[in-house]
Amino acid sequence: MSPTLLLQLSWRNLWRRKRRNGLLLAAVCFAVGGVVVMNAFIRGMQVQMAETAVDSLNGHIKVHAPGYLDDPGIARGFELASEWRPESLDGIDAEMVVGWASRVRVPAVVMSERETRGVQLVGIDPAAEGISFVGDVALDGEPLSGVDDRRVLLGKALAEQLDTAAGRRIVLITQGADGRSREAGYRVAGLYDASGQGLEKAFLFTGLGTVQKLLDATVVTEVSVRLTEDRHGPGVLQRLVNAMTGLMVFTWQDLVPTAAAFHAFVDVAMLMWFIIIMGALAFGLINTLVTAVMERTRELGMLRAVGMRPRTVVAQVVVESMLVMALGICLGVALGISLYYLFLADGIDLAAFAAATEHFGLDAMIVPLLLAGDVWLVVWLSVVFGLVASIYPAWRSVKISPLEALAR
Amino acid sequence: MSDPVVSCRGVTRVYAEDSVPVHALRGVEFEVRRGDWVSLAGPSGSGKSTLLHLIGGLDRPTAGDVLVDGQSLGELSESQLSDLRLRKLGFVFQAYNLIPVLTAVENVEFIMQLQGVGASERRERALATLERLGLNDIGDRRPGELSGGQQQRVAVARAVVTDPVLLMADEPSANLDSSTTEDLLKLLRSVNEEHGVTIVTATHDPMVMDFAKRRVRLRDGAIERDESTSGS
Repeated sequence: MSPTLLLQLSWRNLWRRKRRNGLLLAAVCFAVGGVVVMNAFIRGMQVQMAETAVDSLNGHIKVHAPGYLDDPGIARGFELASEWRPESLDGIDAEMVVGWASRVRVPAVVMSERETRGVQLVGIDPAAEGISFVGDVALDGEPLSGVDDRRVLLGKALAEQLDTAAGRRIVLITQGADGRSREAGYRVAGLYDASGQGLEKAFLFTGLGTVQKLLDATVVTEVSVRLTEDRHGPGVLQRLVNAMTGLMVFTWQDLVPTAAAFHAFVDVAMLMWFIIIMGALAFGLINTLVTAVMERTRELGMLRAVGMRPRTVVAQVVVESMLVMALGICLGVALGISLYYLFLADGIDLAAFAAATEHFGLDAMIVPLLLAGDVWLVVWLSVVFGLVASIYPAWRSVKISPLEALAR
Repeated sequence: MSDPVVSCRGVTRVYAEDSVPVHALRGVEFEVRRGDWVSLAGPSGSGKSTLLHLIGGLDRPTAGDVLVDGQSLGELSESQLSDLRLRKLGFVFQAYNLIPVLTAVENVEFIMQLQGVGASERRERALATLERLGLNDIGDRRPGELSGGQQQRVAVARAVVTDPVLLMADEPSANLDSSTTEDLLKLLRSVNEEHGVTIVTATHDPMVMDFAKRRVRLRDGAIERDESTSGS
């Protein structure tokens, strides 16, 4: 039997039960469209969570001295040659690296005229911080001008706790390289507005040279490297491990394991979501196809009687299933993409749930992400589901005896 | 005398219903010659439909053998039987059994499509057959738009368009009134006489029996009488 005849028969058979097949088509369409939209939302969360983890001073790869993570302090610092750059290492090309930044990060106590808080004092090179959230954070006041700037940047939430503001003075107390306490007063250059209050309360920034001078040290405590693409991570990591003897090299997944676990879980979650939706739909498809087969018992029996082979009868049932699925998938993908661009592409404001989103390392504004690869995956998996769902009805169709069918 | 198109040699068919054997046919010896029109007659349960199904390769005998066009059906696999039905036999069913989503001309073309005949030849032969049977004005209608008689005539056109060795009709007049039945039988007669198509019918209808050239009466699974008719 020619494919043209199979298609022609199957197509016309679909029109025999317009309402029933229309409802089935609508179900496939909404299921596929829903999966496309939901996957875009989940993928957006996944990417944003990874971005947040990388942005939060981690970079894709970070270098510390041994023991720093357990006992962070200037005593766990390391010397970095002034001309050091990751791109200078063999095997790391300039196009792999967005940028890198060395910092000194030590625990400190900050005091205003009224309040005292514990913070992470971070000495930075403002020119290098394009790789972290500090580089493009909204500021109320002035940014730091360089590594020797003696002013500080406070998070807005911390400033509220300290009851201070830009232009006012604060005092920092921390432990120097010799183990003695160091104390100095600084003027607040500006207040930064990060995506979550956690960052605003945790980090206080000033110039890298300023912190080194306060601590009487020439070392740094960390180097962050931001890559152009995740796929460069393993290669760059290995080069850094080889080059930076005696130091510890981490990925952002090592440093933020909860975000990394969620990141890995998202792919599974998308698949589970798809299986649940399409699994439920498959039963509807099976039911409709079996009903269609049983309604046409006599007709299918006649086809067998006049010489149509069982495999052709099977092919007819499968083609009917695939036609419904193909139409439903096309309409569903169009629906999903339309919904995405109409309602989701600019982001979903979850400010009402800001505490929850921050807990998961997300912004209050989730920006769904529609990837062609995710849409194709839905398309092909839907086709596979359609094929699997047609197995039972097809089996029922070949079990029809021509004699019994014609006797009805 | 012409070669037999159908030979039944000691054909027995036993059905096991609730473990009780039912003998539908008991050692039937029977032949159909090329160009003949044989009507299988007899009361319900006499075995006429069973014999027709065995000749058509839709069922297999418990014992004995059926040969169609010299080919023993017992030697054929299921797919070979399908192929034989497709290429050598034509079927007309009691309930017409046209494909409802195809037009009349597409129904006539259908078997040729299964046979792999090219599109232009298929359409040409289908239209010629419909015209020959006086159905050229209903070619673009679907079965639901046709009367019972018209549907059965389209079913005959579908069965003969491929020039089968044997045309088999199971109770072809069961759903037709007497006037339409007569039209149908005249059509079958023209197919038989003018185009030399061999026909076997199974029927209760005396009118069908009267149109056939030969009447084979069965009773309790055996041939009771085999006689030539006037073919009125």
